[in-house]
Amino acid sequence: MIEKDLDKYSKLFSLYTELRFQENKNTRIVFLNGNLIANEKNTAGGVSARVCKNDAWGFASNPQRSEEAVKSVIKTATENSTFLNLRLKRPKTALPCVSFSSENSHATTKSRKSQKEYVDFVKEIDSHIAGKYKDLKSRTVIMSTLDMEKSLITADGSRSYSMIPRTILVIVLSSEKDSKPVELYEVYGGPGQFEDVFDGNPQSHIFSEIEKLHGHLMKKSEGVFPDAGNRECILDADLAGILAHEAIGHTTEADLVRGGSVATNFMNKEAASPLITLIDFANSSFGKPCPVPIYIDDEGTRSQDTVIIEKGVLKSYLHNKETARHFKTAPTGNARAYQFSDEPIIRMRNTAILPGTSKLDDMIASIKDGYYLMKTGNGQADSTSEFMFGITLGYEIKDGKLGRAIKDTTISGIAFEVLKTVSMVSNEMKWSCGGMCGKKQLIPVGMGGPAIKCRVNIGGK
Amino acid sequence: MRETAEFCLDSLARAGAEKSQAVYVKSRKHELNVETGKISLLRTSFSTNIRLTAIKDSRRGTVNLNLTDKTSIEEASKNALEITRASAQDSAYDISQKQPQAEFDNNIEKPALDTMYEKLDSFLSEAKRLYPYIMFENLIVDFSRRTEYLLNSNGVDFKSSGGIYNFVALFTAKDGKKTSSFNYSGVSLKNLDGKFLSRGSINTLLQQSSGQLDPKGINGKFTGDIIVTPDCLNDFLSFITDQSIGDGAIIAGTSVYKDKIDKKIASSKFTLHSKPVSDEIADGYHVTPDGFKAENQTIVDKGVLKTFLLGLYGSRKTGLKRAPNSGGCYIVDPGDTAFDDMVKSVKKGILLARVSGGEPNNNGDFSAVAKNSYYIENGEIKYPISETMISGNIQKMFMDIKDISKERVDFGNVIFPWILFPGLTVSGK
Repeated sequence: MIEKDLDKYSKLFSLYTELRFQENKNTRIVFLNGNLIANEKNTAGGVSARVCKNDAWGFASNPQRSEEAVKSVIKTATENSTFLNLRLKRPKTALPCVSFSSENSHATTKSRKSQKEYVDFVKEIDSHIAGKYKDLKSRTVIMSTLDMEKSLITADGSRSYSMIPRTILVIVLSSEKDSKPVELYEVYGGPGQFEDVFDGNPQSHIFSEIEKLHGHLMKKSEGVFPDAGNRECILDADLAGILAHEAIGHTTEADLVRGGSVATNFMNKEAASPLITLIDFANSSFGKPCPVPIYIDDEGTRSQDTVIIEKGVLKSYLHNKETARHFKTAPTGNARAYQFSDEPIIRMRNTAILPGTSKLDDMIASIKDGYYLMKTGNGQADSTSEFMFGITLGYEIKDGKLGRAIKDTTISGIAFEVLKTVSMVSNEMKWSCGGMCGKKQLIPVGMGGPAIKCRVNIGGK
Repeated sequence: MRETAEFCLDSLARAGAEKSQAVYVKSRKHELNVETGKISLLRTSFSTNIRLTAIKDSRRGTVNLNLTDKTSIEEASKNALEITRASAQDSAYDISQKQPQAEFDNNIEKPALDTMYEKLDSFLSEAKRLYPYIMFENLIVDFSRRTEYLLNSNGVDFKSSGGIYNFVALFTAKDGKKTSSFNYSGVSLKNLDGKFLSRGSINTLLQQSSGQLDPKGINGKFTGDIIVTPDCLNDFLSFITDQSIGDGAIIAGTSVYKDKIDKKIASSKFTLHSKPVSDEIADGYHVTPDGFKAENQTIVDKGVLKTFLLGLYGSRKTGLKRAPNSGGCYIVDPGDTAFDDMVKSVKKGILLARVSGGEPNNNGDFSAVAKNSYYIENGEIKYPISETMISGNIQKMFMDIKDISKERVDFGNVIFPWILFPGLTVSGK
């Protein structure tokens, strides 16, 4: 466990300073066609300090966690800030002062399993797939865990300790059609350590999910190219979640707003259909913990839910202390760092569209000729909110009924325009728990939503 | 550092390893950051990492730690053996055989921090003067010095050290309510000679983004020629190098190139090298992660696939030849057509400068949105485009290459030309 009480170090602060201890522990086990190709345990931790004078920031990190290392990082970060301050010659400024204390651990209270038990668990799933699904060309089963433990003290009086774990299982199935590979994958698991995520979920539950995945793969191997063009589609929860995160969420990160993002044109204006409310949840939603619960950010600001779009109107950006001061508002607790050696930057936490009132069956029934798009392989978006998501699983909708599966394709559009075309929102909400967002640093994020009916460009023939 | 690396091997042996490998890396990075157009942060990070691999009874386990004291190493060694015992048996697990001891160093020791600051400050001033609509969302100049010891129980003993500067910029053009797509580029450098603006493709892309505030959509669909720029080429090349000829795809048998050694997989105009130990590459490497001295290699020679990128495990698993390096540091040979003549030869097509798209499927089928790109008609670049999708098959693209440019861009870690691929589907709204 990392050092929790950092009070004794505050006397070393001479300027605005954040001091953080952090350790990330992860495990990675990979079976490829029954071969164990990765069996790893990794630990990376250390101490870092960030110092600011007149918006000249200095940062330093060290993997050692001794008192000497703490003194060294505070000294180097202070020197770095001074180096810039002397050259930049900016007027005197101060950051908003926040003070909050928080201690939250999501570590399991059950006895921990051994690496062998983890490997056996993954191997049993692999063997089950090999034994039952003889029509597969290839299979990959990956289990990865991440325990992120942090303690923080800031010059303005915030103190925190957190241990936020996540356990993910990824299953990739591949078949062959006309000598060409057809692939599909799914992510299972979520917040918590292995013992809490999978102990209560017997493998029979995972096996039933694999059965569904295999069924989709077989249909996909007979899949057809979509008819390319601007089409009426239902984006299932995975797609709605990634749309919320990639195409809207990023454009409202205040550092990207200052960097020219298109969201600046929509503040307090219509940005989506009135059916759309989009929130970046801090730590819980609908009475349950979110996939990545954040109680306090790495600048010491209390993390609070941020309503980005309310009934179609853009209401807020996501802030750290510096952008909050620039936009004359309060920081929202979105400054997060991935490794001990990373400085906090503005990141989303758990971004989701809120559920509506429609039933999925009625939404499908309402479409004469379109697509039901279920799974995405990845997604990217632009400062203009133009987005592209790979579609790995989807079905035709013909006369209100699901038809043939479609081959891998891509959807694209301008998110602020696509969201204006939303005409139905389902009443069921699902979280996707395996998200890893990249923006200078990686960071775990949650994405979620209901199914939404909208018009979007789909690739194909 | 050597004593620590040797202690790692001893510790693994005492814990019961039959074969072992220890990689100990120490690095220091100095990084200047620009946010929203202003220099904002100076970051110094000191890092250490030890990677311990143990093999016993044909079982293998790996532990990474970033503490370097003896107690932590001994504990991690025991942990590595516990993981090893949990592993499945596989006779393909092994470590590299003994090779002559060697040390490598590019002798770039320390950052010129004041020069880094001054060059960055000058770059920002010049970019603001030349390209007033450009906004830098993020811009980083860093210097890293890294030393690595790789030792194994067969007597392998390599030390490699090196320093490198990196420049990476992410930017958008904005004028009032008009916003361009973001674009980015970067370059690795052995020194800070010259201007950042003139390195890699930075100046070209800033100029292009400034003119991309009013992109137009394309109506309908056509089949045309695509000129892929050096910045964009790796999005297509990685289908071959990363997705199809490495350990994963060859072991799984899912690669479309699995039976293509010494067979044609591209036009005879196309030659691809991987040169990690060449003077042409600023940011190369000397030792592979599995403990071999790296050598340069030609992967595709005049269209013919000469090697897979198999590591030691992949090679032993498949019975195929191990590659002499672990990929990267790619150099594509230039062609004999000037870029301007290449554009003149296009009747209808796209100059593709960036794509936003998912990984192609294992067969090479892809569709992606063209970003920061241009419509070409009758041999002229007409206008920047938006909401335009490109689709095709990457296997076929490389077989059908029509032209490769004389000019190339040196990014420091790869050197790429412009390539003209015919017959791709372009669809607008």
